[in-house]
Amino acid sequence: MAVRDHADVSATSGGIRTHTNYLGWLESVHPAYWLLAILLLFMPAFAGSFWLFQVWGWAFILGTIALSLMFLAGYGGMVSLVQMTIAGLAGYMVAILGASGVSGISMGWPQWVAVPIAIVVAAIFGTLVGALAVRTRGIYTIMITLAVAAGFFYLTRQNYTIFNGYTGFGGIQPPHLFGVNMRQPVHFYYLSLACAVLSFLAVVYVSRSPFGLALQGIRDNPRRMAALGYNVTAHRIAAYTFASVIAAVGGILLTWQNAQIAPASVGIGPVIDILIIAIVGGIGHPIGAFIGAFIYVILRLFSPDMLMALGLPGDRFRTLIGLGFLLIVFWSPDGVLGLWQQLKERMRDNAGFTGLGGAGER
Amino acid sequence: MTAFVQRNPAWSLIIVVVAAALLWAIIAPWPPGFEEVFGRKQIFLNALFNGITLGALYFLVASGFTLIFGLMKNVNLAHGALYLLGGYIGYEVADATGYWLFSFIAAFVIIGLAGIVLQYVVFRRMEGEDLRQTLVTIGISIVMADLMLWAWGGSAYQILTPQWLSGPLTLPIVAGMRGDEVVYLRYPFVRLAILVAAIVIGVLMWLALNRTKIGMLIRAGVDDRDMLAATGARVQLVFVIVFAFGAGLAGVAGVVGGTFQSVAPGEDIRFLLASLVVVIVGGMGSILGAAIGAVLIGLAEQFGSVYFPTYSVVFTFMIMVVVLAFRPQGLMGRG
Amino acid sequence: MNVSVAERLHATGTGSALELRGVTRMFGALAALVDVTMTIEPGERRAVLGSNGAGKTTLFNCITGDFFSTSGTVRLFGEDVTHFPAHERIRRGLRRTYQISLLFTGLTVLDNVYLAVRGVSRGRFSLIRPRRSEALMQSAVELIEAVHLTDVRDTKVSELAYGQQRQLEIALALAGAPRLILFDEPAAGLSPTERSELVEILTNMPRHIGYIIIEHDMDVALRVAERVSMMHNGRIFKEGLPEEIESDPEVQELYLGGGHG
Repeated sequence: MAVRDHADVSATSGGIRTHTNYLGWLESVHPAYWLLAILLLFMPAFAGSFWLFQVWGWAFILGTIALSLMFLAGYGGMVSLVQMTIAGLAGYMVAILGASGVSGISMGWPQWVAVPIAIVVAAIFGTLVGALAVRTRGIYTIMITLAVAAGFFYLTRQNYTIFNGYTGFGGIQPPHLFGVNMRQPVHFYYLSLACAVLSFLAVVYVSRSPFGLALQGIRDNPRRMAALGYNVTAHRIAAYTFASVIAAVGGILLTWQNAQIAPASVGIGPVIDILIIAIVGGIGHPIGAFIGAFIYVILRLFSPDMLMALGLPGDRFRTLIGLGFLLIVFWSPDGVLGLWQQLKERMRDNAGFTGLGGAGER
Repeated sequence: MTAFVQRNPAWSLIIVVVAAALLWAIIAPWPPGFEEVFGRKQIFLNALFNGITLGALYFLVASGFTLIFGLMKNVNLAHGALYLLGGYIGYEVADATGYWLFSFIAAFVIIGLAGIVLQYVVFRRMEGEDLRQTLVTIGISIVMADLMLWAWGGSAYQILTPQWLSGPLTLPIVAGMRGDEVVYLRYPFVRLAILVAAIVIGVLMWLALNRTKIGMLIRAGVDDRDMLAATGARVQLVFVIVFAFGAGLAGVAGVVGGTFQSVAPGEDIRFLLASLVVVIVGGMGSILGAAIGAVLIGLAEQFGSVYFPTYSVVFTFMIMVVVLAFRPQGLMGRG
Repeated sequence: MNVSVAERLHATGTGSALELRGVTRMFGALAALVDVTMTIEPGERRAVLGSNGAGKTTLFNCITGDFFSTSGTVRLFGEDVTHFPAHERIRRGLRRTYQISLLFTGLTVLDNVYLAVRGVSRGRFSLIRPRRSEALMQSAVELIEAVHLTDVRDTKVSELAYGQQRQLEIALALAGAPRLILFDEPAAGLSPTERSELVEILTNMPRHIGYIIIEHDMDVALRVAERVSMMHNGRIFKEGLPEEIESDPEVQELYLGGGHG
């Protein structure tokens, strides 16, 4: 969606949905989502801990971070490369405020204090970056956010007093909720699933709220929105704040999953990966972020085997990802979701073609 | 100039005072009390010269980037990868032939050709779609970086300085006093030579753009492509030439960087970032802006790393933030 | 810039609807507006006429704050808004339509009008989804009725006929509580029937709403306006009643001559 410069609102929003009764709302949910929900809920019954923790857990987390980019790019028309950085900052805050192996810096506060503060700090940071980025438009947004992301990476690497430099923080204590260790695969699976679903629902809901609608109006036609009385800049900045909160949630989960955070987690590689995930999945709909994340995780975990099976060196993972990304950008600007749409339309056209042909011969 | 003084008498005075203080700090020997506060003069001078010469390197990279963006509105985020590839090619050529200067020509020609390929394969197909261009060049730089890692491995290479440029040069600037004896600043010859070369290239580029027929054609193309096409000029050819030249500059900068510092994985990102910040600060498409931005960033980085070691990056970004806050189009950017 | 509430209350209600004083707008060395001074009383209906490039749309842009004027002052309902951004001026009761339709083509008619109603009310940042019964939704529905678009209320704007899009433009401008509306060539591209419908909508507007209309169609312009300003080369060179303007020799030579001859 963002790849086309002036895409219209229709594909992403469906406009304001007024809800008259809740049963109607339930009926409006696509059956595929029900199937997916059941599948995901009962996943631990048949999947092993590698799949639960490494594959699904990771996909949910990366999907959540990519979702924050999808929100900004898809609804706001602002392609921000700073989302992984915001996520990383939240992860760093949890490490610094909470407990980690670096006892000289970490303050050891309980998680229920550290986590909210981490999210707030990340949201403030994201808002400030947004305030900076919205001063310019289009391609400049990418450049400025990329520059900020790179700057944060170099800062964490060279600063030892706060960010513990090159090594970062290890041994971060996983959270215990109700006496349950959340890093245990099944529990972590449900934790990350819950966060991903909540973020997804939040984005869907906000996109159809007055604020979300105004944001999409601003994406398509900022001048007109100002002429309707909207403060364009304030809406754009608020969008950054909202996206930052979602990115922060993803970042904290990521830190818990790895039990560590280091400059490499916020380097240009991961920053670009989030962009790739969002674009490959498709920026036209929130579900695209998770589709992209799942594809990415599968490639990332299994590409060495696949490459070696083809007789190629197994560590050329990034070439594979880069080429896949290029293919998508060249041929399907709306990502995998766009491909799916094209396929559906082609099938519908084929089906409808015979009918139309008959009508034409009258 | 006089108009500026008349309009901003206070600012003019401040600028004159700061310039005078700086000049004094550079030329005069520092009194002992002053050295206690600010450290040894030798350190200050080194940071100053390192900052300016690093700025020269940044200028070489960023001027190609800004030229391509300014004239064609193409954002080439593979510019860093072209820089790094130029460095590797320079290293291989210098290593094989033993001629340092020849490695510049090789890097310029090969990376320039790579630029032409990019222009034909990517940018011409996506004219006007700046976001897609950006995404494609991100993809290309990922693949290039990984392939270069494959070919040259993870270790750093240094391009050797030729005999005739190696060693320090004594400059007529007082670095300090050893007893009663005046110690003059000694600074690597090769860095000064590259500074001079960068200035010459910058001036030539400015002259070419502002004083020649082809430069005027190019600048006309920026403002109005249809008009340029209507005059019979071959727009696409002009663009290919500019793209090749901008990319070639990145290749040359790669050789310079390999001589100054080293050629290693990750340098592509570093110099892409430097180019981004330089053109954001200096203003997109302005050669003069790129020069000012490059020197500012180079100085900020060097002074930062000498006086505030663990926060030096913050300085670079403070400059960017301040410029964006007060002049979103950059110092020399248009409207 | 910092006006106290008391001052603002005082300023509003007195004064003219719009007061331009020496407004000039330069584009580089080109002067698009030169020293324009103009007063519109509350409820007044004014036409601005002039050839292409006379500076009429630039005048609108300077009034709404789409561009800032290079020099001069703009006062809205007695308040100096010269340095206010567009959305602040809109919230003070100013509205405009655009010459080239700037509608949200992917949204339905209702969503477009809802956005407009929302834009000049509180809760622009609301995260709560609207309900059918909500007051704002109601006023959106009423506005759609007022411009005869009820039949296509839930149609996407991209599927509307051109004339309907122009009507929607007017509905957007009527959202909230407008006090002064700027119409930028509302009749352009309309069929004769649609034109008379437009004249009807304009003349039937509540009396407290004033407007300025830029129009090439003299018939439309002179029928809906009480006073006429003539522009040429960025200046206002004549102001008067419609009849006076129509019969003015200078005007006829400069403007009507080409069109009517």
